[in-house]
Amino acid sequence: MDEAPGLSDQYRTASPWPVFIALGIPISELGLLFGLFPLAVGGLLLFGGSVVGILKESGYVTSTIRAVTALAVIFLAFGAGLAFTDIALVTRGYAVIAAAILLVVGGVVFELFVREQRQTF
Amino acid sequence: MEVNGQLALTVLMGVFLIAVAAWLARVEDWRSYTPLAGGGTVGGTAEQYVSEEKPSGVIRWLTTVDHKDIGMLYGAYALVAFAVGGLMVVLMRIELADPSMTLISNTFYNSLLTSHGITMLFLFGTPIIAAFSNYFIPLLIGADDMAFPRINAIAFWLLPPAALLIWAGFFPIPDVIPAQTAWTMYTPLSAGVGSGNQMNAGVDLMLLGLHLSGVSATMGAINFIATIFTERNEKVSWANLDIFSWTILTQSGLILFAFPLLGSAIVMLLLDRNFGTMFFSVDGGAILWQHLFWFFGHPEVYILVLPPMGIVSLVLPRFAGRRLFGFKFVVYSTLAIGVLSFGVWAHHMFATGIDPRLRASFMAVSLAIAIPSAVKTFNWITTMWNGKIRLTTPMLFCIGFVSNFIIGGVTGVFLASIPVDLVLHDTYYVVGHFHYIVMGAIAFAGFAGLYYWFPIYTGRMYQVTLGKWHFWLSMVGTNLTFFAMILLGYGGMPRRYATYLPQFATLHQVATVGALILLVGQIIFVWNFVQSWLEGREVQDGDPWDLADDDLVTAEWTWFERKLETAVTDGGEEETELATDGGQTVDDADAESADDA
Repeated sequence: MDEAPGLSDQYRTASPWPVFIALGIPISELGLLFGLFPLAVGGLLLFGGSVVGILKESGYVTSTIRAVTALAVIFLAFGAGLAFTDIALVTRGYAVIAAAILLVVGGVVFELFVREQRQTF
Repeated sequence: MEVNGQLALTVLMGVFLIAVAAWLARVEDWRSYTPLAGGGTVGGTAEQYVSEEKPSGVIRWLTTVDHKDIGMLYGAYALVAFAVGGLMVVLMRIELADPSMTLISNTFYNSLLTSHGITMLFLFGTPIIAAFSNYFIPLLIGADDMAFPRINAIAFWLLPPAALLIWAGFFPIPDVIPAQTAWTMYTPLSAGVGSGNQMNAGVDLMLLGLHLSGVSATMGAINFIATIFTERNEKVSWANLDIFSWTILTQSGLILFAFPLLGSAIVMLLLDRNFGTMFFSVDGGAILWQHLFWFFGHPEVYILVLPPMGIVSLVLPRFAGRRLFGFKFVVYSTLAIGVLSFGVWAHHMFATGIDPRLRASFMAVSLAIAIPSAVKTFNWITTMWNGKIRLTTPMLFCIGFVSNFIIGGVTGVFLASIPVDLVLHDTYYVVGHFHYIVMGAIAFAGFAGLYYWFPIYTGRMYQVTLGKWHFWLSMVGTNLTFFAMILLGYGGMPRRYATYLPQFATLHQVATVGALILLVGQIIFVWNFVQSWLEGREVQDGDPWDLADDDLVTAEWTWFERKLETAVTDGGEEETELATDGGQTVDDADAESADDA
């Protein structure tokens, strides 16, 4: 009975990204609030990567590397704001900056190695 | 030590991220790429992907963006939260059976009090509504899915981490204690000022969790507004949009204006607690928090009550054999309540010493909101008047809703009056009043919906007799518990205390007995729900409530009928007639005795 076509069953009904976006937000929040560097970086990476993934999947962006860069620029600005202004939350600022850099590195690695491999299937 | 901790955390985080990446790579391979929101398809025609199957097992539920699946997830989540919040309050009520501190410590009582409120409002109330709206709004308005299916999934998946953060204080984490701020989180207590223990990280975690649940609700609201505006079938106009969709649309509007404000206020509080800002610690800071909180908090009441009103407005006429009386005015009153709800917040602050002229204006608007509420009530009663009433379980819960809503509503009108409020403020009267609404009305409407649509989402029918036991125990328990509270309030019993003077003992014991009756009722509900889902009689008829007899079929049942018709037959013969709980053609006595066995 479950296999019967309902109204919405004709559409793509699965995406792996939402869970990780939803996990990335609280992990990075916890990291930034309590000043836990690894959690902040990891959470932001998870969040940023998943956002790019979901945008790519739904066709809102075509180039992974450009989406990653755009997101990294936003992170950089936010991190710089935390670290180098009067707010002076230096460790947290560096965590965001580190996440931005790692995000770009990850994007480049994906672009150069992973994506090509997958296309050979 | 510090460095080791950081190192361990880094390794843990790294391993976790690698595991995520590895899992994603596997899942991504299995999938085909069909843009959902973009409309087009990559490298092929749309037809190729039409028969897309859902992945199986746990992965299906982790990756689903289907509105029906997400509705089920919301429902399961909400019922778990309802059980947690309910068990918390059972502990509290047992403690209150005796005037002194006996079973649990006063601080633990405060922790339970805080978590019970937040759990029931944010982790049960909002999600159970989202369960119904996710599953049924697209069906009711003839949409293929929500406007943003992936956002929908994100909104749901934010909730489990939110619950873990809100309950974090109860987990055995070193140096973390549960928040004891009550759900209103009034400063300066919640700002951690003074010699108390509320500077603890447990409060920060609770605030973060609450913030997350707000983000989730806002995402959901944007999605519903977009869906109802843009995804309607061409046959569904504003003129014939169903009542439930109207209430969800209004509720989403309220969420859109209220929840971001709560989020901002919580961030300000977190900054005060952790980064030395002084939003709430300077002169007037305490009253600023109350203004910000209640500007969100009062609309929140209507965010929680409007969709249940929509469920009642939808379900009640089906078992009265008539269309909803004064449909247009029910819609207008919904919109009126939505607008007025933003003009009443300071009635929570009559006793704070704010300007008397301000108080008077808030009293006027608060009293005025009784008018649209009464419009709805009279319309429900008039719908039933001379109707062909069928006392099925969902109908009983609807009538219970109306009854409890009248008591909860009328006690609220008295509270809206400044002189009465100054006497009853911070007493059990207030607790009794709002529990008549949140338990007696909102939860009852939730149950009405759960029973009414049970055949659609399980394909089976629940056990009729158990359903009625559940209703009557809930009805008696609710009125016993919360009427006793109203009387306690008249007697001057202040709220939020773990201990009390012996003169209040009798009424407290009555309330505790009521709570235990409620507990028994809910255990029966869980049994009925789970067992019927697994073993209940399969529904063979697309119209198990015989709505077609009165020409009252709505779109979701038409969809269900089509689903049954197109189902692959397994060749089996139907053994017994379906028990439709009030349906005309069924031999109820047989069905009930069979269910009881």
